[in-house]
Amino acid sequence: MALLEVEDLSIGYRTRLGLHRAVEGVSFSLEEGKSLGFVGESGCGKTTVGMSLMGLLPRNGEVLRGRVLFEGRDILSISEEELRLLRWKKISMIFQAAMNALNPVKKVADQISEAILAHSSSVSKAEASRQVEGLFQLVGVPKERMRDYPHQYSGGMKQRAVIAMALACKPRLIIADEPTTALDVIVQAQILEETRLLQEQLGISIIFISHDISIVADVCHDIGIMYAGELVEYGSREEVFDSPAHPYTRALLSSFPTLTGNREMLKPIPGEPPNLVDPPKGCRFRERCQEASHECSLISPAWTELFPRHKVRCIRFERKKGPQ
Amino acid sequence: MKGDKEIRHRPHWFEQFLEGWSVFWQNPLGKIGVTLLGIFALMAFSSFIPPLVNPMYHPMTGVDPEIYSSVGPSARHWLGTDFMGRDIFSQLLAGARIAFMVGVSAAFMSIFLGTAFGMIAGYMGGFVDTLLMRLADVIMVLPTLLVVLILASLFGQLNIWTIVLIIALFRWPGVSRVIRSQALTLKQRPFIEAARVAGASHIRIIFRHIMPNVLPLAFLYMTFRVTAAIIIEAALAFLGFGDPGTVSWGMMLQWVWKTGHMFKALYWLLPPGICISLITLSFYMIGRAMDEVLDPRLRREETAR
Amino acid sequence: MKEETGTSFLSFDGVSKFYLSRGRMLGGSGRQVVALNRLTLDIRKGEIFGLVGESGSGKTTAGRLIVRLEEADRGIISVEGQDVTHLKGKRLKDFRKRVQMIFQDPYQSLNPQLSVLDTVSEPLLIHRVGDRLSRAEMVMNALQSVGLSPPGDFVHRFPHQMSGGQRQRVAIARAMVLRPDFVVADEPTSMLDASISAQIFNILLEMQKSLGITLLFITHSLAAARYLCDRIAVIYRGNLMELGPADDVIQRSRHPYTRALIDALPKFGQCGETERFNTFLKAERESSSTVGCAFFGRCSIANRILCSQEVPPFKTVSPGRRVACFFAEEQGKNLTASKTCHYGI
Ligand SMILES: Nc1ncnc2c1ncn2[C@@H]1O[C@H](COP(=O)(O)OP(=O)(O)OP(=O)(O)O)[C@@H](O)[C@H]1O
Ligand SMILES: Nc1ncnc2c1ncn2[C@@H]1O[C@H](COP(=O)(O)OP(=O)(O)OP(=O)(O)O)[C@@H](O)[C@H]1O
Ligand SMILES: [Mg+2]
Ligand SMILES: [Mg+2]
Repeated sequence: MALLEVEDLSIGYRTRLGLHRAVEGVSFSLEEGKSLGFVGESGCGKTTVGMSLMGLLPRNGEVLRGRVLFEGRDILSISEEELRLLRWKKISMIFQAAMNALNPVKKVADQISEAILAHSSSVSKAEASRQVEGLFQLVGVPKERMRDYPHQYSGGMKQRAVIAMALACKPRLIIADEPTTALDVIVQAQILEETRLLQEQLGISIIFISHDISIVADVCHDIGIMYAGELVEYGSREEVFDSPAHPYTRALLSSFPTLTGNREMLKPIPGEPPNLVDPPKGCRFRERCQEASHECSLISPAWTELFPRHKVRCIRFERKKGPQ
Repeated sequence: MKGDKEIRHRPHWFEQFLEGWSVFWQNPLGKIGVTLLGIFALMAFSSFIPPLVNPMYHPMTGVDPEIYSSVGPSARHWLGTDFMGRDIFSQLLAGARIAFMVGVSAAFMSIFLGTAFGMIAGYMGGFVDTLLMRLADVIMVLPTLLVVLILASLFGQLNIWTIVLIIALFRWPGVSRVIRSQALTLKQRPFIEAARVAGASHIRIIFRHIMPNVLPLAFLYMTFRVTAAIIIEAALAFLGFGDPGTVSWGMMLQWVWKTGHMFKALYWLLPPGICISLITLSFYMIGRAMDEVLDPRLRREETAR
Repeated sequence: MKEETGTSFLSFDGVSKFYLSRGRMLGGSGRQVVALNRLTLDIRKGEIFGLVGESGSGKTTAGRLIVRLEEADRGIISVEGQDVTHLKGKRLKDFRKRVQMIFQDPYQSLNPQLSVLDTVSEPLLIHRVGDRLSRAEMVMNALQSVGLSPPGDFVHRFPHQMSGGQRQRVAIARAMVLRPDFVVADEPTSMLDASISAQIFNILLEMQKSLGITLLFITHSLAAARYLCDRIAVIYRGNLMELGPADDVIQRSRHPYTRALIDALPKFGQCGETERFNTFLKAERESSSTVGCAFFGRCSIANRILCSQEVPPFKTVSPGRRVACFFAEEQGKNLTASKTCHYGI
């Protein structure tokens, strides 16, 4: 059985303008030791999905529908107390921009050992600091920098410290929300490499969230493309990159340049994502879609399975596959 | 708010105000404070009515021809009269007007000075900053009331606007410190640098870019300053240094005391006393509630990423 | 140094900038940071010049020196032969009409209290260009040209009513509305989605073509630099490492640091045969900040004696192509990436 199974998850935020449907009918599953990447542009609901798996939605956020089975238990229906036990020990998260949220007046190592002590009562202080040392080694921060304060760290080191903190209680699943945004390419490459190694060595499952599809290309086994709160394409890395099906996925892939050959103009996606307080009928991408037809505004596309590990929500494929 | 089909073209500060107001109104302190203040405002507005009904209800000059000493409440004088037969109720109403006048104008002036000096000190830095802040320190450690008392005893009776001016002059340093620290952080923000690259002068940056961003905070401080100004004016009047040509609550208390009615005529002593306490309390509560609105932890993160 | 063609528009001549870092938490003596170390380069009229390097390499500092948010401590910056390093007063204001900047973070670089109209017309107001009506028209045109159309929908919006990409376009419109000769674009897309980045890049390209603006494009991604730039300079900790035409620098890189930057780019597509250069040491080795090559501490091909003692000269390896590495000529391997391998920006 899969470690994590999400079925038909829908989440809304209550705002002054009405219910903001940030996530709509998202389903996926994640096997033990595998990694899954969520890609989509800003505001498509990636963080919201991650937060709901942690049971940490903001006060005005609400799960409208769906089930989240972690180790076979529905974590949406368990008590706050049980959830607290699960959080950090079983599922942990690297929050978006977390490196700027380190406590500036506490030594980094102390912050991590506090996290350990807070979640496992049996661990002694000395044991905790030994564990912290191991964690620093794991994420590649020199031991002599352990006693420094966050502001003495570079951006990359802070991000590593945050990763160490997420690893502190040896979770089975880590949700990494844009862990490399705002880092330069070199540090980003190092962090990605480390993430991959950690995953392979420790067998941790990872959900990797990013707006940049080129970043998940190397790290993730499976990739889910999100648009305006919905998953529109889902499949193995090879399938999605080699034969992208959804027009949105293809558009995403075409906004990256090459280093050799002619300099071809990049073709960005025109327009802006729709308003989710009053989402459009039919396909949500149709207004920006180069291949949209009249039908797209009528029917909300259903999943079409292209291969056993590749499915897409676009009516062009429904038609091809459907009964003649 | 992106992707919002119907975007209302309201200035940002107005949006902020609306949003702040809804937070404010959910706060019980804010609600009580505003309600109390509303009652006092109503009193101030209706202070014009009694003299129109009958000249004997004029708070200063109106004397009941049939009464020669202080008497208790009656149908004719709801709260009784003072030692020369003037109506206490209409004096109370007039006192509300003076309290607002003194409080708001002194607060406004001190906020104006404090904001201007604070912005200039914070933005310019260096010598200007040091100079202004030392000046602020010196003024801040002077006890306002004592200085006003000394001035009053030197120059005799002060008129109400002089009192307002003095309060304002002594009360800007606190505000300017807060505004200065705001200006210091704003100065580092890239949009100020963008204005510099565009060629904006210092004056332009201060008034166009820094000021709109510190005004909400300045207005928060104004509510606290109103309280302070009202109390100072009341104290001055009670000690006999008030403007003899106006009827303020402090003045009423002074009359009670001077004519020896202190513990004999509670109907005369209590109303102004209670009013002073309540109006300062209401401004204080409003200030606390506004504090919460402006508290960065409660403000919604503006950046979307 | 006249092997380069094209007329120089802006030049750095031995420009250095030092900062005093505030030291450790409490007290502690301030340490001097060399943000730029004797930078010498020319930017030609009408080109897009890329300044590439990792975080902290001094890219922003170079940009800020040009637009005079900061003043150089040493050396000369000149524009069309005129020394602008220490301009003051009226002449500085006139200079600012010609040189503009686009900042990294559109969530920070727009005043939250000003509408789009106020923001974009501000430079016009400051320099007293046109009357009310013609200013409004210029703002509309500027908005149109950055793809905010119809402009009427946007002029009365406030920053919080727009997405990051839209905000950055407003910032570009503000920089372009005076029709400057030169614009510094400091990582204009690092805070934006990858898909929005391409839009912003295309707008910059379009601007450069239609208005003939010279652009300094600052980025840490060589892929983005290759897409936009005619020529590229790679800097590391304030030192110029490699300079030349974009394609040449990327496809036939000679400096190990440039190669490390290429290795680090995330990629997808048919990249199977792409070889890595592996010129970057995982663990930094002991090195001096004053003697020897600046990159010595991280260089896997360094000669321990030579590179740690002597600063490599910035030598010309082919016309218009210069590298600061003793082993530049020996770096034979060229980039083998396929034409269908796409790189992150
Ligand atoms: N607390 C909230 N209240 C109301 N709306 C919210 C709240 N948090 C997020 N939203 C909205 O929900 C949508 C999804 O937000 P989310 O943060 O999940 O996006 P994201 O995909 O993580 O984007 P980004 O790449 O910018 O982080 C957005 O349109 C956002 O404006
Ligand atoms: N105001 C300052 N005070 C002290 N040090 C500074 C200041 N500004 C920059 N520095 C230092 O100068 C060096 C170069 O900084 P700069 O901002 O130019 O780098 P950058 O290449 O733009 O990096 P990034 O990609 O992170 O923007 C860094 O080491 C930085 O810490
Ligand atoms: Mg997010
Ligand atoms: Mg920078």
